[in-house]
Amino acid sequence: MDNAVVELRGCTRDYGGVRAVDAMDLVIFEGEFLSLLGPSGCGKTTTLNLVAGFVEPTAGRILIDGEDVTGVPAHLRGLGVVFQSYALFPHLSVYENVAFGLRERRAPAAEIARRVGEALELVRLDRQGRQRPAELSGGMQQRVALARALVYRPRVLLLDEPLAALDKKLREEMRDELRAIQRSVGITTVFVTHDQAEALGLSDRIAVMSRGRIEQLGAPREIYERPASRFVADFIGASTVLRGRAVAPDMVALSRDLTIRVIVAEALRVGEEVELAIRPERVRLVAGPADGTAEARIEGLVYQGSMTEVSARLGDGQRVLAFVTEPAPIPLAPGHLVHLKLPADAFMVLA
Amino acid sequence: MLNAAVIALVAFMTLPTVVVIVVSFNPTAILSFPPSGFSLRWYVNALTYPQFQRAAVNSLWVTLGAVALALPIGTAAALALERGRLRMPTLWATLLLSPLVVPGVAAGLGFLILAASLGLLRSRAVLIAAHVALVLPFVVRSVWVSARNLDATLERAAASLGATPWRVFRRVTLPLLRPGLFAALLFAGVVSVNEFVVSLFISNRVTEILPVAMYSYVVNYTDPTIAAMSTLFITATFALVWLADRFVGLGRVFLHHR
Amino acid sequence: MKLLLLPALAVIALFAVALGCLLRYSVLEFIPGSLKTGGFTLDNFRSVTAPQYLGVIWDTVWLAAATTALTLAASYPVAYVLARTASSRVRSALLVLTLAPFFTGAIVRTYAWILVLGNAVISWPIPMLFTERGVLVGLVHFSMPTMILLLAAGISHIDPVYERAAASLGAKPARVFWRVTLPLSLPGIVSGSLIVFAWTLSAYPTPALLGGGKVQMIATVVKDRGLDSFNWPGAAAFALLALAMTIALLAGVGRAGARAA
Repeated sequence: MDNAVVELRGCTRDYGGVRAVDAMDLVIFEGEFLSLLGPSGCGKTTTLNLVAGFVEPTAGRILIDGEDVTGVPAHLRGLGVVFQSYALFPHLSVYENVAFGLRERRAPAAEIARRVGEALELVRLDRQGRQRPAELSGGMQQRVALARALVYRPRVLLLDEPLAALDKKLREEMRDELRAIQRSVGITTVFVTHDQAEALGLSDRIAVMSRGRIEQLGAPREIYERPASRFVADFIGASTVLRGRAVAPDMVALSRDLTIRVIVAEALRVGEEVELAIRPERVRLVAGPADGTAEARIEGLVYQGSMTEVSARLGDGQRVLAFVTEPAPIPLAPGHLVHLKLPADAFMVLA
Repeated sequence: MLNAAVIALVAFMTLPTVVVIVVSFNPTAILSFPPSGFSLRWYVNALTYPQFQRAAVNSLWVTLGAVALALPIGTAAALALERGRLRMPTLWATLLLSPLVVPGVAAGLGFLILAASLGLLRSRAVLIAAHVALVLPFVVRSVWVSARNLDATLERAAASLGATPWRVFRRVTLPLLRPGLFAALLFAGVVSVNEFVVSLFISNRVTEILPVAMYSYVVNYTDPTIAAMSTLFITATFALVWLADRFVGLGRVFLHHR
Repeated sequence: MKLLLLPALAVIALFAVALGCLLRYSVLEFIPGSLKTGGFTLDNFRSVTAPQYLGVIWDTVWLAAATTALTLAASYPVAYVLARTASSRVRSALLVLTLAPFFTGAIVRTYAWILVLGNAVISWPIPMLFTERGVLVGLVHFSMPTMILLLAAGISHIDPVYERAAASLGAKPARVFWRVTLPLSLPGIVSGSLIVFAWTLSAYPTPALLGGGKVQMIATVVKDRGLDSFNWPGAAAFALLALAMTIALLAGVGRAGARAA
C-alpha cells in the first residue's frame, strides 16, 4: 500500500454564505497524478488552495506526510505551486525566478547554480536563463513556472489549470511533456482542470467534483466506463440517458414497443424505474432491424471530420446520441429512418 | 503590527484636525488643554467678520467661475486625448498637466506681472483665469481616467442602433463619464476654494479669497477665530469627500481594481 | 475631435505667457521704491548666488530631501493597507481620512500645526514652533496624502498572485515584501518621491507660518522680495530658479525611469 502524502479529513470551506468545499475526505498517495475535475464553481481550486495553505478550512484538518498542517501558513508547507497565470516575477530573470525557492532555503550559491541548471534543462529552457518572463512565449513561461516549482524538490506539486491559457495544439504538447516530467521525477501531483480530456489523459486517478463534493474518485477508465451518477456521466464524455422500467432482471422496457436487453453488474428489480446511460461511440448504425436494435429518426447531424454526431429520436420520443465514424455505412440526412444497435453490455445503470 | 503602525500614522494625520476642532470651542482667547469650557463666540466672530464675509463671496464667485469654465474645457481635452488619435498623446498630456509642476510662487508672481502689464491689477478676471489654469490638470486627469475605462464599443453599438454622434455623446458617453466628471467637479471645486499661494500674489484686500483672508488674520491675530473658520472648512470638506466616496466610490478613481 | 484640445491649450498658453512675464522681468533692472524697471541686466541672477541666498537654497534642498524620506517611510504602510485591504469599509475610511486633509487647504492645516506645535495644546520638551523641526513636521504632514495616494495606486497594480507565488516558494511575509512587493512598487515610490520633493522645494505656507520668519525657503524669499519689497525682478529670478530646479528634477528622473524600463 502506497503511503498517503496528502490527506483531507472532513474539510469544509465557507465563503460568506457559500459553501465552496463540503466535508471533503480525500487521500492522495505517493507518486500519483491526481486530477480534481469539475465545472467552474465546483470547489476544485478552493481545494487546491486549502492544500497549499492559501486559505484555511472552516472545519476539518489537512495532513501532509502524516503531519497536521491545518493553520500552518503557505510558506512553511514546502509545496510547489504552478499558477494559472504562471505568476512569474516580472522584475526577475528566468534564472532568478527559478532560483527563488532555493534562495529562500539559503542554499549555497554553487548548489543553486547546479540545481537551477538542471531544472531549466529538464524543461528545455537552459538557454533562456537571462531573459525576462515578458520576453518568453506562453508555453515557455509555463515551463519556467514548472521548473520554479520543482527545483527545490517539494513533497507535492500543485497545478491550478496550468494549460488553460494555451492554445489547443500547445496545450496537447505541454500535456504530454508535463506527464513525462512528472513520471521521470516521480513527484506526487495534484492537477486542477475543467477539461475532462486532459484529466483522462494525464491522471492515475480522477476526483470528479461538483458543488464542493467529490462525486466519484477512481481511475480514468473506471470513471469513464462506470460513472457513478448522472452528473459524472454527463460531465465526462457525452452520453445518452434513457428512462424505462425493468420488466426482467436483465430487460428494460423503454416504451410499450421497445424493450432492450442489458448486461449489468447488479440484477434489476422487476417493476423498478431505471435510468440507463450509453456512450455515443458504442451506438452503431446498422442497415436493417436486428436483434438488439431500435428504430430512430435522424434529427440533427454535426460533421466533425473523423466522425459525425448523429442525434436521433426513438419511437417513444427519447433522444439518442451516436458517433458514426466517417465514412458512414449508410447515407445520413435529417428525417431519415435508421436502425441503432444498442449493445447490451454498453449500458451503465445510473444511481 | 502593520495595523498598529497604520493606526498610529492615521492618527498623526488627523491629530491637527482634531486639535483645531477642539480649540474652536475654547471660551477664551488664551488656549489651554484640556479646554476650560465650551463657547461658540469664535464662530460668531468668524461669521460676522466683514473681511471674511467679503472674502467668502469672492471665493464663491471665483470658484464657480473657474469650475464652470474648467469642466467643459477639461472634458473636451480629455476626450481629445483619449479618442482624438493624436500623434504624441503623452506630450499633449504632459503639457495639459504642466501647471501642477510649476511652483505656486512662480505662477503667482508671473500672473501678477502679467496683470500689471495689462493694467488689470484689481480685476477678478485674472484671478478666475489663474484658477482655471490651476484647476484644469485635475479636471483633465479625472475625466481622462474615466474616458480610458470607457469601452468604445459601447459607443459603436449606440451608433449601429441609429444614434447620431451628439446623441451618442449625450446618452452613452456622458452618463458613463459620470464618475470622472463628479471627481473632476469635486477636485476642481476644492482645489480652487483652498488655493492660496497664487491667489496671495494676485489679489488685494478687495478681491482676496477666503484662504488669503485667513492668512492675513493668522499673521496678525492669535485668537481661535481661525480655528472656528477652519472647523467650518473641515466639516464641509469631510462631508463632500464622504459623499463623493458614497456615491462614486473614490477607490475607483484612485486605485486599480481587479 | 482633435480640435477639442484647443480651449485647454489656450488656457495653458495663458499660463505660459504668465511664466514668460516672469522670465522677462528676471532680466530687467530693479529700481528700488517703484515698480518700474530699468534695462537688461543679469544682476538678479547674480544676487541669487550671494552667500545668504545660497544658504537658503541649500536649506531648502536639504529640507525637501528630509521631508521626502520621512514622508515615504510614513506613507508606505498606510498605502499598503489601503491598496491591499479586502474590506471596503477600511478602504473607504482610509481614503476619506487621507483625502480630507488634502482638501482642507494649506492655511487650515498649517494653522492646526501652529496650535499643536506652539505648546498651546501639547507641551513639547524642545521648542518646535518657528524652528526647522516644526516646519519639517508640517511639510511631512502636508505631503503624506499625496504620497499615500501615489503609492497606493502603484501597489494596487501589483497582482496579488505574485505574493502568493512567493509564499508558496517558501518566503515568509517579510521576505515577500522585500523581494517582491517593494521592487514591484518602485515606480510608485519614484513618482511619489519626485512629486513630494519637487513640491516641497517650492512650498510656501508651511515654512512661512510654521517658520515664523526664522526658517527661510526659496518660496518665502520670492514672496518677501516680490510682495513685500516690490522687487519683482529679484523675486522673478528666484522664482525661475525654483521652476528650473523642479523641471530638471522631473526631467532627470523621467529619463532614468525610461532607461530602467
